[in-house]
Amino acid sequence: MLLKVDGITKAFGGVKAVQGASFDVKEGSITALIGPNGAGKTTAFNLVSGFMRPDEGTIQFDGRRTERLSGHTVARHGLVRVFQTARVFTQMTVLENLLIAARHQPGEKFGAAWLMPGRTSRREREIRREAEERLALVRLTHLTHERAGALSGGQRKLLELARALMVQPKMILLDEPMAGVAPVLGEQLMEHIKELREKAGITVLIIEHDIDLVMSISDRVIVMDEGRVIADGPPDAIQANERVITAYLGRNAGAAA
Amino acid sequence: MDIFNPVFWIFVATTGGIYTIMALGLYVQFSLAGLPNFGHVAFMAVAAYAMAILVARYGLPLPVGILGGLVAAVILAILVGVPALRLRADYLAIATVAGGEIVRYLAMNLQGLTGGPIGSIGLLGPGKIATFNGSWQVFMGDIAFYLKPIFGKYGRPDTAMAIVVWVFAFAAILVLWRMERSPWGRVMQGIREDDTAVAAIGKNVVGFKMQALIIGALLGAVSGMLLALQIGVFSPDDYQPTITFYAYLIIILGGMNRIWSVPVGAILFTLLYTGTRFLNVYPLTLFDSGERAYLRLFLVGLLLVLFLAFRPQGIFGDRRQILEK
Ligand SMILES: Nc1ncnc2c1ncn2[C@@H]1O[C@H](COP(=O)(O)OP(=O)(O)O)[C@@H](O)[C@H]1O
Ligand SMILES: [Mg+2]
Repeated sequence: MLLKVDGITKAFGGVKAVQGASFDVKEGSITALIGPNGAGKTTAFNLVSGFMRPDEGTIQFDGRRTERLSGHTVARHGLVRVFQTARVFTQMTVLENLLIAARHQPGEKFGAAWLMPGRTSRREREIRREAEERLALVRLTHLTHERAGALSGGQRKLLELARALMVQPKMILLDEPMAGVAPVLGEQLMEHIKELREKAGITVLIIEHDIDLVMSISDRVIVMDEGRVIADGPPDAIQANERVITAYLGRNAGAAA
Repeated sequence: MDIFNPVFWIFVATTGGIYTIMALGLYVQFSLAGLPNFGHVAFMAVAAYAMAILVARYGLPLPVGILGGLVAAVILAILVGVPALRLRADYLAIATVAGGEIVRYLAMNLQGLTGGPIGSIGLLGPGKIATFNGSWQVFMGDIAFYLKPIFGKYGRPDTAMAIVVWVFAFAAILVLWRMERSPWGRVMQGIREDDTAVAAIGKNVVGFKMQALIIGALLGAVSGMLLALQIGVFSPDDYQPTITFYAYLIIILGGMNRIWSVPVGAILFTLLYTGTRFLNVYPLTLFDSGERAYLRLFLVGLLLVLFLAFRPQGIFGDRRQILEK
């Protein structure tokens, strides 16, 4: 198991957003996390990615306990998240959005641009090549030098996905990547996600509301309701599960929750 | 002094240079890293006091005093930054205001250490006159000796001071200008826009913010010590909270986010500020000089408001950048 979450709990004042949720994610899988609005899915992501600290419970990623680590450290260990509403750097160009995310740029140390200009610019050239490849992959090459603020919502999500990949993650967390994305871009995005697993071996944990889509791409589905995991299994078993149907699928009658 | 006297212009140049260095510190913190520091003057004051105390009281050489001033400013930056930088930006704003006020009250009230309200002259206690800038004046005199052939009768210590100040200011601008365009500057720009997103791509945001805070504190310290060396005798009144406000004005006047506009903003501000001193023409002469001093502050404020109303992006700024998000 690449990720093991055991009994995590998080309360905001009186609201228990996550209460004792446990789940695992297998290396190389695409796992979906579903559940009605307010079920605690985004909060679970915040806990797993180190952006919030659980009140209780443990998280293990790639053999390392991470529940007390900060977000940037978790990202460095290879677990990178993409936000529910895209957070691109709007004043930077599309290319710069990717360059900033690269690892091992010695020029990020203060003074390095003076002290080791050679190493900095050599690495910069490598990073740039890598960024151009990623842009081609998400078909944003024509926007390379455009300001990211000028992109549509869907394009921003693609850009954020490409940016997360620049960090060279072992696993990515995608929070509703399809929401607000035009259908054509959405299909593209799904293709990319499948490719990531196939070609780069990246493990994917994805929150998504479109049940048909979830069932078609994921190897495994985890269902949350009111802060707990209420079901966990292969897609067809989940679709047949009584508790899931009453808690989620039935209540929202097939439509997006 | 009158407006046609070169000595006045040397004074304006020196002051403008010191303000440039001060505002560069704030530029690194606020314009580059997005850190709202509302107690910048505290870094200046702490450094000036540390330097003066080490030299006047402990008889240490001036370079040691200057080093002590830099160290003191870094310690203050760490004391303010460690608790506040992990929190949202508004907490840093509050912490820096508090830090600034604490420094000022300590300077005022720790009479035994700082000379209290009388200032640096009282560093050795009552009845004794303390000085700390003797070797600086000797140094400026030495430089002036070499300036004589070029500047004639204006090859004076104050000309030397203006040159030293501007050499440092330009060196600092050059270093920062290069850094801003390096990968380091790119991370800073990211932090200014959205520090959560920067953390999400694996960068140590708190570490980068601490670097910006310390670099800004060091520049503040240099400007604070230069100010002390220029005026020779200083007191807590020379490090009023309004000076932090001047640093913001300079950045805004020049146009945020553009490093070369910092010296222009600083010179413009210095001209505005010292220039209004010459408003001794009718009908302003109807006011007595005490009243004119307030009138002057009022006019500076009015000019700035008008400036911002007509050119909110500053002299060099890009209007689009402040209007859209
Ligand atoms: N930062 C927060 N502060 C207070 N309450 C929160 C916060 N984040 C989430 N919540 C609450 O926790 C519950 C779960 O929210 P969330 O994790 O966003 O659910 P989901 O992503 O499944 O829709 C909701 O009731 C929400 O209002
Ligand atoms: Mg959510």
